[in-house]
Amino acid sequence: MNPTLQTYLDIPNFLILYFLLAVALSIFFYRASKLYGLLRLGGKEDRFDHIGKRIPLFLSNVIGQWCTLRSVSRKDLAGIGHFLMFWTFALFLVNYTYLFIWGAWHQISSLLELGNRFSSAFSFILEMLALLTIGAVIWALGRRYIARAERLKRGFEAAIILILILLLLTTHFLGEALRISAFRDPYGGAVSSAMAIAFDGMSEGAKQASYYIVWWLHIFILLGFLIYIPHSRHLHIIASLFNIFFRSTRPKGALTPIDIETAQNLGVEKIEEFSWKQLLDLYACAECGRCQVSCPAFLSGKPLSPQKLIEHLKTHLIETGNNRNKSTNALIGEIISEEEIWNCLTCYACQEVCPVANEHIEKINELRRNLVMVKNKIPETAERALRTIMMRGDPWTGTQHLRNDWTEGLSIKKLSEESRIDILYWVGCTGALDERNMKVTISFAQLMKKAGINFGILGAEESCCGDPARRMGQELLFQTLVQRNIENLKRYSVKRIVTFCPHCYNTLKNEYPQFGGEFEVIHHTELITHMLKSGRFKPNLPVDKRVAFHDPCYLGRYNDIYLPPRMILSFIPKLKFMELKRSKRESFCCGGGGGHVWLEENIGTRINIMRMQDVIEAEVGILTTACPFCLQMMEEGIKRKHLEGSVEPMDISELIQKTL
Amino acid sequence: MNLIVCVKQVPNPEIPPSKFRIDSEAKRTIPPEGIAPVINPYDERAVELALRLKEKHGGKIMVVTLGDDVSGNVVKHALSMGADDGVVLTDPAFEGSDSFGIAYILTRAIQKIGSYDLILCGRQAADWDEGLVGSIIAENLSLPLMTLVVAIERIDKELKMKRVTLEGHQIFTLPIPSVVTVSQEVGRPRLPSGWGIISATKKKLPVWNAKDIGADLSQIGAKGARKRVMKLFLPERERRCEMVQGETAVEAAIKLAEKLREAGTI
Amino acid sequence: MTIFRGLLVCGEVVDGNITTITRELLNIGRKLRDALHQPLSTLLIGEKIEERAQEVISLGADKVYMVNGPIFMESSPDLYVGIITEVCKQMAPSIILFGHTEMGREVAPRLAVRLNSVVTMDCTDLSINPETKQLLQSKPVYGGNAIAIWISESKDPQIVTLRPRASMPAEPDVSRKGEMIPLGINIDHSMIKSKLLETVKEEVRGIKLEDAKVIIAGGGGIGGIEGFKSLEELAKVLRGTIGVTRVPCDEGWMPISLEIGQTGHIVTPNLYIAIGISGAPQHMAGCASSKCIVAINRDPEAQIFKEADFGVVGDYRQILPTLIEKCKDLIR
Repeated sequence: MNPTLQTYLDIPNFLILYFLLAVALSIFFYRASKLYGLLRLGGKEDRFDHIGKRIPLFLSNVIGQWCTLRSVSRKDLAGIGHFLMFWTFALFLVNYTYLFIWGAWHQISSLLELGNRFSSAFSFILEMLALLTIGAVIWALGRRYIARAERLKRGFEAAIILILILLLLTTHFLGEALRISAFRDPYGGAVSSAMAIAFDGMSEGAKQASYYIVWWLHIFILLGFLIYIPHSRHLHIIASLFNIFFRSTRPKGALTPIDIETAQNLGVEKIEEFSWKQLLDLYACAECGRCQVSCPAFLSGKPLSPQKLIEHLKTHLIETGNNRNKSTNALIGEIISEEEIWNCLTCYACQEVCPVANEHIEKINELRRNLVMVKNKIPETAERALRTIMMRGDPWTGTQHLRNDWTEGLSIKKLSEESRIDILYWVGCTGALDERNMKVTISFAQLMKKAGINFGILGAEESCCGDPARRMGQELLFQTLVQRNIENLKRYSVKRIVTFCPHCYNTLKNEYPQFGGEFEVIHHTELITHMLKSGRFKPNLPVDKRVAFHDPCYLGRYNDIYLPPRMILSFIPKLKFMELKRSKRESFCCGGGGGHVWLEENIGTRINIMRMQDVIEAEVGILTTACPFCLQMMEEGIKRKHLEGSVEPMDISELIQKTL
Repeated sequence: MNLIVCVKQVPNPEIPPSKFRIDSEAKRTIPPEGIAPVINPYDERAVELALRLKEKHGGKIMVVTLGDDVSGNVVKHALSMGADDGVVLTDPAFEGSDSFGIAYILTRAIQKIGSYDLILCGRQAADWDEGLVGSIIAENLSLPLMTLVVAIERIDKELKMKRVTLEGHQIFTLPIPSVVTVSQEVGRPRLPSGWGIISATKKKLPVWNAKDIGADLSQIGAKGARKRVMKLFLPERERRCEMVQGETAVEAAIKLAEKLREAGTI
Repeated sequence: MTIFRGLLVCGEVVDGNITTITRELLNIGRKLRDALHQPLSTLLIGEKIEERAQEVISLGADKVYMVNGPIFMESSPDLYVGIITEVCKQMAPSIILFGHTEMGREVAPRLAVRLNSVVTMDCTDLSINPETKQLLQSKPVYGGNAIAIWISESKDPQIVTLRPRASMPAEPDVSRKGEMIPLGINIDHSMIKSKLLETVKEEVRGIKLEDAKVIIAGGGGIGGIEGFKSLEELAKVLRGTIGVTRVPCDEGWMPISLEIGQTGHIVTPNLYIAIGISGAPQHMAGCASSKCIVAINRDPEAQIFKEADFGVVGDYRQILPTLIEKCKDLIR
């Protein structure tokens, strides 16, 4: 006899069941509609584009659980646990759906009672998963509260969720065991059938009564869980499905432009000025902490934490909703401080590891836009750089050089004189005006000459690509620069561009198309690889040293260029390549991104000094990189740690030059 | 308050000094390739001071420019900082004017604009460093003048001003209307705001020529100039620097002290 | 038709002394007088100036005009403009010389308009073209990057302001004789529109920059207000005073009253140690006349090394402590 058939005070239990379900669903939907209403406060954004891309991404990330499996490592197996939990949950959902829609009023309390081959198979799989999941939950509890893993919060909420899951699963097994024992069901699940033997000693009445109690307990916990979902971070169960579907299909390094003609606000000052998708991120966050433990700002002691950013914005959004959609606190200043907004290096470490595809950097950038373009509040050093970009077209206030100085004695083609070239060498402001990086510019130019490449430069007509302006929040200055550059590039019919600065590379490749500038953009490591592979030159002189490569954020994480630099190093005889501890996707930012070359680090440890730790551990004689900011930061780091004698920093093109 | 600010476009002064070149025939500087002219930094500070006054007391700021900037870029820059209106003065007859001619043209433009409580100019222009135009405008209009002002406050019908001196500062009161020249100690001028940039790009600026302002041709242009540049040249750099080297900073410091003692300087 | 003749130096007497710039003007005035063969007069406005009038004659003036009135820094510029205009209208000099001081900066341009003549400010040299007898006015332009020589087209009188320290001060010759003429100038006080409320002297650390024989100057490279402590220590050891460039003032680390440069103090010490200073012309304009310039800067390509006599490339934070100790040693 199944529980739903019983009566209580002459009321069939399935009606009581439906009543409880109705109550739980009402509370759930009331909350869900409030949350949805808050999303509608947000601005418009089209995330229905590229359906052809979205569907496969959704399937692999959600169904395949790649969202968390991708971050599984020896130190952090949580992704496997999540896979188990997800699929257990999914199968139980099928079970409950069956129960509530069909089973209850047909006096069948679960799919597992059907007694046919399908239900046996189903119950076998479900119970295997559930057993593993119980193991995973216990492991999770241990990892969180006993081992005290760094990225995991040790609060009340996390504990409740884990314990509820544990209770749900154990009451399932207990209940099933009692049922199988009480009603002698031969088709019961394998695990619960085995457990049922333990109850053989009980009386029939006791078994049935216990079964009913455990069954109702299970239902209560389930409905409680249902209510808890939209009131806790477990909202991510639902929200992340949407968030992953609506994730950005743009290139990683392309921030959202402002349409000057139609813009109602410049950047974000109030929570409702974020787009609905940016707000959805707040619901999708599972508070897993992966972003926080990857963030160089947080790890170096700065006030900023990407996790807290999302949390505080979510709390603020809901409070605003509770207060008739009027914010009670200032978003900038009280919910998140100006200091935190400027701490972000835009290194993408947070977004790279986020399982629900949240966009932390977009939010920070929107807040910066408001600070800079509306409130005019920007740290002095950054303001000076922006002013010089505005007046002179480069951020290097105080440089003693002009853009063409590096070409002295080198006979480099300038497009204004000779515009028939195969590829444009985009030098970049740092490459042209910073003393140290001018050497890299020359070095790469000489490599291209040696390889017989017909290249030219814009020379004095080159203007800042705009990356510092956009990353510092001056979107309008950025658009002015972009339009000016696109005009120049189109005037000379430029089709292909090579550059050694990953920031220029990223902006030219991924952001210029937003304004009609479509060019084929290559990074110098890609070109050098090509030149080596096609035998244009051969590194002859050996480099009998241990050599490491520091992956620049804008080359690696943003544009997935990891192999070319390593390939280049593999061509050099006797070179011993050492992978730094945190490299490739996990590379630790040099501290120069997001405009930070022009911002001061006043709190905590210096980020480039932290990176030096990895360099010291690798015991290398040469540290190579492929970014002008990284080169500056690494050189400063080496000086500060007094490593000048033992570690030589250089650009990868300079190393190749030495071997020819 | 109705404010008028006179702004000038000059070659960008922030270039490496070793790259400074002149054309001794044409008697002007040759700006390095690719470096655009900018708003005179002192005039930019005059706009900044005007904006502070507008923030405190309300009103409108009108920006006037005269010179090479026919597209009014410097006026647009001032508009994007927060000024309200602008006008560009251009005419072949204006070319070759000296400071007196320039001041005369600006005076006529100001008279055409009509109503104003305060006229602001930068203390000098970063190209010719003459430091004359503001004072001449004041005399032309028979208005009270205060130079090197860094702060202004309006108190009833008077203006309280802070003027810098070599040893500190002075506080003066002047009636309305007056003319002031603004010194760089006013502080860093604000960067153009986002909305300012958007509205400034859309704005169409009126252009006035000699006839529009009723200029007396004998007072303007090269013919009306009271003085001219006879020669422009680069100064001799005589010094020969002896670099004091050392393995460490400590060593270099010791060597330096010894050299200075030898030379009798300490 | 007025005949303009004679050179008029508008001098200043402060705290009972003739200012150095007045002496420098008289020196240049004498040079011009000898070239033009026109008399050199001086106008002094102030209180109890009769005591100084004889000295002015010994410095080279043929005539000294005296007007009783407040000193410039204690009155409205309008008053001085009024008085000097009156004097010039009466005397009709062909060349009027001011120092490029507060007084000269205010009065000279306005005087030029009122006399319907012409003016050039901040000159570093004045001479007479032997053929045309025109006054050649040299002054730095483009922030000091270039020098321009101006000439006036037949507009008399020609008014100039002379940069302090551009000329040597005149040597007194007590045997010189001259006239001392008190003038009674009636000023219409309704023309005084600007009213002086107060004058504030910002605390200048110790010696006046213009008088200092040793100056330790700091620029943007100092990095903050704390950095200046070591500069002050060095100044104490060498018995000098500290100065700054534009950057520390803009950043708020140091007061503007210590600024050395084209728009600040012009100094001529025996020793000028420039620390963390790039050497831009606007600043060099203030210290170029120093006898010996020492530069300490982290950037080996800094412009200052082309302007200095001695240079050390390095971080001042590492160099100064030893420098201070060694100087203490050597001075003893």
